[in-house]
Amino acid sequence: MTVQLAGVDRDVRESIRDFLYLEALALDERRFRDWLEMFADDARYEVPVRVTREKLSEWELSPNSRIFDDTKETLDVRVKRLETDFAWSEQPPSRTRHFVTNVLVQPGERADEFLVLSNCMIYRSRGDETTPSLFSAQRRDVLRENGDGWLIVHRWAALDQAVVNAHNMSIFI
Amino acid sequence: MSTPVISTDVQRMLDDMRDGIWQGRVPARIFNDQEIFELEREKLFAKAWCFLAHESEIPKKGDYVTRYIADNSIIVVRDEHGNVRANLNMCRHRGNVMCKSEMGNASHFRCSYHGWVYKNSGELIGVPYFKEGYEGQLDRKQWGLVPIRIDTYAGLIFGTLDPHAPSLDEYLGGFQFYLDIYLKQGANGSEVHGPPDHWIAETDWKICAENFSGDGYHTPVAHQFGFHLGYFPSSGSTHSEGWAVNIPGKGHGIGLGHTPGMPAFFGYPDELVKQMHESLSPEQLEVFSKTRTAVGSVFPNLSFLIQPFSLVPGEPGVRFCTMRLWHPIGPGRMEMWSWCLVPRDASEEYKEAAYKAYTLTFGQAGTFEQDDFENWIKVTKAAGSTLAKNIEFPYVMGLERPQLEDFPGPGHAVSPYVTDTNFRNLWSTWLDYLTREE
Ligand code: FES
Ligand SMILES: [Fe+2]
Repeated sequence: MTVQLAGVDRDVRESIRDFLYLEALALDERRFRDWLEMFADDARYEVPVRVTREKLSEWELSPNSRIFDDTKETLDVRVKRLETDFAWSEQPPSRTRHFVTNVLVQPGERADEFLVLSNCMIYRSRGDETTPSLFSAQRRDVLRENGDGWLIVHRWAALDQAVVNAHNMSIFI
Repeated sequence: MSTPVISTDVQRMLDDMRDGIWQGRVPARIFNDQEIFELEREKLFAKAWCFLAHESEIPKKGDYVTRYIADNSIIVVRDEHGNVRANLNMCRHRGNVMCKSEMGNASHFRCSYHGWVYKNSGELIGVPYFKEGYEGQLDRKQWGLVPIRIDTYAGLIFGTLDPHAPSLDEYLGGFQFYLDIYLKQGANGSEVHGPPDHWIAETDWKICAENFSGDGYHTPVAHQFGFHLGYFPSSGSTHSEGWAVNIPGKGHGIGLGHTPGMPAFFGYPDELVKQMHESLSPEQLEVFSKTRTAVGSVFPNLSFLIQPFSLVPGEPGVRFCTMRLWHPIGPGRMEMWSWCLVPRDASEEYKEAAYKAYTLTFGQAGTFEQDDFENWIKVTKAAGSTLAKNIEFPYVMGLERPQLEDFPGPGHAVSPYVTDTNFRNLWSTWLDYLTREE
């Protein structure tokens, strides 16, 4: 992939980096309603299924299989569920830490949008289990200017494992 | 295959189960135990018909997927004549793995160790230094990949390691009637939406297979959010309504839950319902038109589910269909495989809506899926504890309930939907395999 960094000024880069950190903070503090507000109304949230393939195969990330295949409406279903007392998979809640690094900001398709690459390592601890889950992912986001801040128009995140060693994915990436 | 040595206390437990199951008792220990795991590998998974793949995963010549039966890696391929074949994924020369990817397309497989080359159908056709080294001592015909016996039903490819196993038809024993709701969802049947998710869970495969043999009992509690927020069109007060059907002695079972007041085939597009009137028999239509949830398992470890999910609370929503394989990889440990099946002839619009409903509920990040595994890992952990070794669970629900006399489908049908009837049949079949003399 060629990465085109020219044409994005330093303030925009700084501001986008801060936004991603604030987003991670909202997730790790379990402020899911605040987190949802960071998405545009036409947002897409996708995590493709990774398949172990030969080196020369056309794809390794499935073009049509998804772990998450969400819109803002379905993310809202997930958040509403987490707001009930019956989201058993998050009872007790997961303790997560999203480590966001390697942020690269490129111009987007529209003047008010930017394509943002980042790496995300997620540590998750559940209850008194001593073995945490670790999820490593590459994110490819489209962010749109929104007044002084930003909105996520597209979150695309690919996990680095083809067989995920966690009994469920009850957290967000 | 060797018969594992059984310790006296496991032998006693299995002996006690013979009557215990029909009195409504099943020991906790079977859900997390090294000896049971080994027994299952040798006496159950080496004998039963095990699911390998759906034909739509390998539509073109040369398409292959790699799958498992117990701990055996198997290449399932469509050969150059268009026939489906399955072979052990192991080079006959010194045992290297032939195919290291999950799926792909190849006319030949070449071993990366000494370079033996096989046709995708398994025949050995290339041996380096054949003349200089082997000097006529190697008969290539005898050293092809080890073939696995396979058979299919309505797109499902099964394999068995047992050359003496009965036919797949006999093995399914009438359960085909119920499988058709998942496999004949339209005029041209069902296809996979894409490659499956798979992930590891510290869960015994049998807990899941039992749950999917028709555990309607857990739904209002384990998936309470769906009822509470109105996304799942059932209500706690009527959720027990419906049927449970099993095939006696075969282990297969299905739960068919009803929602009173909902129209026939709600949640399916009209066009698809029209097609189902062609692809299904009048008896099948009678059973399925009333069904909200169809949750069934083919013994031992393949399950299916059709249910609706609605983004608008209180509405009928959209039906989706998932197929799942609970693959054992250790005592209390499994690899979960999950597919979404869509009707081949449905509109792209419906396929997408059904797929989205699937990922939101039963994919790896699915809201129903998450809650199931959270319970199942806890059950598994408890079942492996010292005291639990001597504890039994009650399986007395529906113990006295007579069989429905005028039920249109085959097998042993009872009402209500909430019952242990299917599970007693499941455990009794499981016990038959584990205690069968060679
Ligand atoms: S192990 Fe395959 S060629 Fe030797
Ligand atoms: Fe469930």
